[in-house]
Amino acid sequence: MTARRTLIELAVALGAIVAIAVVLEVWTRVMSVPSYLLPAPSAVAARMLADAGLLAREGGITLSEAAGGFVIGTGVAFVLATAMAWSRPLEHTLFPLAILVKLTPIIAIAPLFTLWFGFGTAPKVAIAALITFFPMLVNSFVGLRSADLQEVAFLETLGASGREIFRHLRVPSALPYLFSGARISLNLALIGAVIGEWTGADRGLGRVIFVANANLDLTILFGAVLVLAAIGIAANAFVGVAERRLLHWHPIAVAT
Amino acid sequence: MPAAIALHGVSAGYTAPVLRDIDLEVGNEVVAIVGRSGSGKTTLLRLIAGLIEPTSGTVDLLGVAPAVARRRKRIGFVAQDSRLHPWRTVRENVTLPLEVNRRAQTNGHVSADEWVARMGLSDAIDAYPHQLSGGMRQRVALARSLVIDPEVLLMDEPLASLDELTRDDLRDELLRLWEGRARSVVYVTHDIEEAVFLADRVAVIGGRPARIVGGVEISLARPRTKVMRRGPGFYDLVEEVRKHLE
Repeated sequence: MTARRTLIELAVALGAIVAIAVVLEVWTRVMSVPSYLLPAPSAVAARMLADAGLLAREGGITLSEAAGGFVIGTGVAFVLATAMAWSRPLEHTLFPLAILVKLTPIIAIAPLFTLWFGFGTAPKVAIAALITFFPMLVNSFVGLRSADLQEVAFLETLGASGREIFRHLRVPSALPYLFSGARISLNLALIGAVIGEWTGADRGLGRVIFVANANLDLTILFGAVLVLAAIGIAANAFVGVAERRLLHWHPIAVAT
Repeated sequence: MPAAIALHGVSAGYTAPVLRDIDLEVGNEVVAIVGRSGSGKTTLLRLIAGLIEPTSGTVDLLGVAPAVARRRKRIGFVAQDSRLHPWRTVRENVTLPLEVNRRAQTNGHVSADEWVARMGLSDAIDAYPHQLSGGMRQRVALARSLVIDPEVLLMDEPLASLDELTRDDLRDELLRLWEGRARSVVYVTHDIEEAVFLADRVAVIGGRPARIVGGVEISLARPRTKVMRRGPGFYDLVEEVRKHLE
């Protein structure tokens, strides 16, 4: 039943993409739109095939930068959220700082990161980490505080330690929130990595887009954007699978 | 031998005082605490469990402070409408008390699976809480509080959220439980008939802040059966409790 529904949803999505491509194809041909304004989908596809190796290599670089930033950003966020859920004073100290990080315009400090960390992988990972940090912090914090108070009381009457309550109750209670944080953060991490590459890099999809922009080479530009989108969709699907496995007990997971 | 549960001159509260001058001793018996909604029944139970500290007076559990009794895993606790741990199966929920605070010795001779069976849940042992009815969830809550074989059993309106038929069944279950093995049970309820039917003694709390305003010895024989609820004497006792409440 659900497998059939997934297939139908997939078919609808593919159909929509094909329809858009056909419309663009016809339009660019009929109107003779120059390829430096809007390339025909067939030209983009041909270019992607021709440069498949390049796109895969640069896509892999962007993906690894985003993944590194995601792991660091969400990891630090979870540790801080744990500390904040543990103690009110820490919550009141750390939360304004977290908002400061959140309000800092990434695009404005990205060149600064390049200045500090050079042209290598480090500034991209740092930007991806910074951009994923806040959504994960808020979600982890709310999640850890969401534990059922009756169940906390029950564990306390058994003499369970704070650490046991954390492990057996607070972390599992936080899981649905962690997943929604991860979904938001994953896409942000990709954007962060591209922004980092944009401001100064010799590799990655951001670099490909930057150079293509300068040369009005729109077929490779669109190709790179499509690869980025594919990576994002795959990452989301991966989280979805993990979510269904780990949250099978959760009403939301049961409903979908 | 000192009473299993002893409260002497206990007052407690949060921002405003909730309980005042509570004196209560519970031996190997079932004491029902009856009071109106919001009268402080749950606070009293939390006080006995050591989840909150009294502002004055003393609370002793098995001759020690509640915090010590907790660390020794001597307290069973059943709340109203337990949500259990939704990511654990029935069996895993019942074994949870054995997995935490492992340093404490528990004197349970009855396995988790056996408790599940006694609660009539063997068929659902691998089910998750969201697959169970409210009555089944409360049976699991009961099983998991008994798996450590606690001397003291604290129950906070464990049947309040259930339908009448399920409640009847579970009441019988409870009677069988504590008629089988002597324990000190504090049973909080707002249902007077339930209190009379289940308890050896009913303590009524009322006022603001709440005091114990009356006690009624329940002279009904054990084992108790549903027939007694229609028998002579039952409604006299119910009336007596009701008078204290008014």
